[in-house]
Amino acid sequence: MKKLLKLPLYLLLAALGFFVVTFTIYFFNLDMKATSLLAPWLEKWYDHLERKQYI
Amino acid sequence: MKTVPKVVNPVKRAGEQSPGKIYDEKLKVRARREWRGVKDTFYDYTRWLYLIFVLARFIVVPRNIKGFFRYRWMMSYLFVPHGMDKFTIGLRDEALRIAHTSFNFVIADVTQAIANCFRGDRRVGNDKAYSDKCVITDENSMVTFMMGFDTKKVHTILREVPTMFASNIFHQFNVMHYLDIAQQYGIPGDVCPMPEAEAGISIDDDFCVLGSCAVQNNTTCDGSLMGNGIIAKRLEREYGIPTFQLATPLRHKEPDVMEYAAREIKKAIAFVEEHTGEKWDWDVYFAAAKRVNDATRCRIAQMEINSTPYPQFFGAAFSLYNDTNYMGNSGRNADFVKIDHKLLKLAQRGYEAKRMYAKEYRHRCIVWGVQPQYVIDMLYWMVQCWGVMPLTDMLSVINTEMIAEVDTPENREQAYRDMAMLNMEMIMRNHTHGGYKVLVDELWELCEKMNADIVMMWEHMSCKALTGMHGQFEEQARERGIHIMWVSHDLCDPRVFTRQAIRDQVNNYMRTVMREEPLDPSLENIPDNEAY
Repeated sequence: MKKLLKLPLYLLLAALGFFVVTFTIYFFNLDMKATSLLAPWLEKWYDHLERKQYI
Repeated sequence: MKTVPKVVNPVKRAGEQSPGKIYDEKLKVRARREWRGVKDTFYDYTRWLYLIFVLARFIVVPRNIKGFFRYRWMMSYLFVPHGMDKFTIGLRDEALRIAHTSFNFVIADVTQAIANCFRGDRRVGNDKAYSDKCVITDENSMVTFMMGFDTKKVHTILREVPTMFASNIFHQFNVMHYLDIAQQYGIPGDVCPMPEAEAGISIDDDFCVLGSCAVQNNTTCDGSLMGNGIIAKRLEREYGIPTFQLATPLRHKEPDVMEYAAREIKKAIAFVEEHTGEKWDWDVYFAAAKRVNDATRCRIAQMEINSTPYPQFFGAAFSLYNDTNYMGNSGRNADFVKIDHKLLKLAQRGYEAKRMYAKEYRHRCIVWGVQPQYVIDMLYWMVQCWGVMPLTDMLSVINTEMIAEVDTPENREQAYRDMAMLNMEMIMRNHTHGGYKVLVDELWELCEKMNADIVMMWEHMSCKALTGMHGQFEEQARERGIHIMWVSHDLCDPRVFTRQAIRDQVNNYMRTVMREEPLDPSLENIPDNEAY
């Protein structure tokens, strides 16, 4: 019963944790900074793929 | 010279005053997102969460992951939030909500288009039953000839939209590879880089391969015709996908072209029926026609608001939303109706509250010519940095006529003419082709109607359709006392004109000709030439 009463508190803490983490990512543009680090690797990946080029 | 009254914003913008400070030349993305005050930052954050959700929902499907690692243009998918930030520079209140409502919807629509491509793609999803009901259509073509096909039974695939068009908006370097490929195979570098990049994608074998048939259009220029030939050759000879050439008259204001244009539409419909095995349904057509008329009424209302001292919906979001709704949708998707009305409601609310995009509006500007893809935020920049309000752009000045929407025997014949009219006056054709009246005279009519004192003329250096009129524009602008500001670019190749080189043309004009100082000096030079 005690655990059940604490459920709203846990939910609130989880929501708060989600907000803090995602808002930090959002505001400091961490999502796009990480993506821009990934992009050069992806370019190399696409470069090495075999393609049937012709006109 | 003509002048317009200056409009000063009595309300100080919430949050950050100089959004130019969030750029960092060491990074290829912004250093951080903009602080817009508590309310608007929270709203922007929730829309960012929504975008992340849309993108995550797409990528968790295994065939979409496979497609991601197969197609180079999918790299731009990663930069969608970065691209969305370009649409919201300095925006607050209704303006921020308008940009998100319109462009978030476009992003969700394009994401669905990619998912559809991958589902039918022979290399990725290979759902043959689905692919057999797909029709590939030209990115620069109105899809009016699909308005009478049930969207649950026949699928319209605009595969060039995510591959080239949207891709270049989110990631400025993403089409350079395809331009290089095209030129390696002997395509000249002086044609429009848009069809050239599309031809390069086909040469590089980087288009999804699906569909029972394809419809191409003699869109607007030498580059487009050349690109279509290269793409059609591969579609037909290698992949066995029959391709119909919808030959549309270019002199669309001449009444004697109408019967021919209507016959072409009939032939395109018969071609789709033959290859998909599905029949044209007049109930579906007239329901779509009602939605086309509804979208037209909403667009006219938005333009009327923009004719007042307090414009609300303009710039990249207005232009690209219209592109998607008018040309790519053409009344087929009922969801656009809700968005149209939501946007109109937001714009009316903004107008009533006299909301402004900047500290002051010094000039009222009509933007003419074709905008560069990789500096899509230019019009927001122009109002924030110099107080030059872009009332509308040429590509958004499209059809204002109502089409027949009631099913009668006469209207069924009229419907072919309506579809032909919409097709002839599609976005990239209605002003760049059709003669002197639509390109030159209509510009001055618009300046009069919207009370503009400046024309910003995009000079797309590879576009032969507009360059021939340069002298006429100059001469007539002088006669009318209207400032004309030429801004050169190369549509989607940032190596020819960088973003700052484009902005500097405005900076120079405003300082030397207009003798003005920027409203926000932090925006005059932005270190984003190397940013995605």
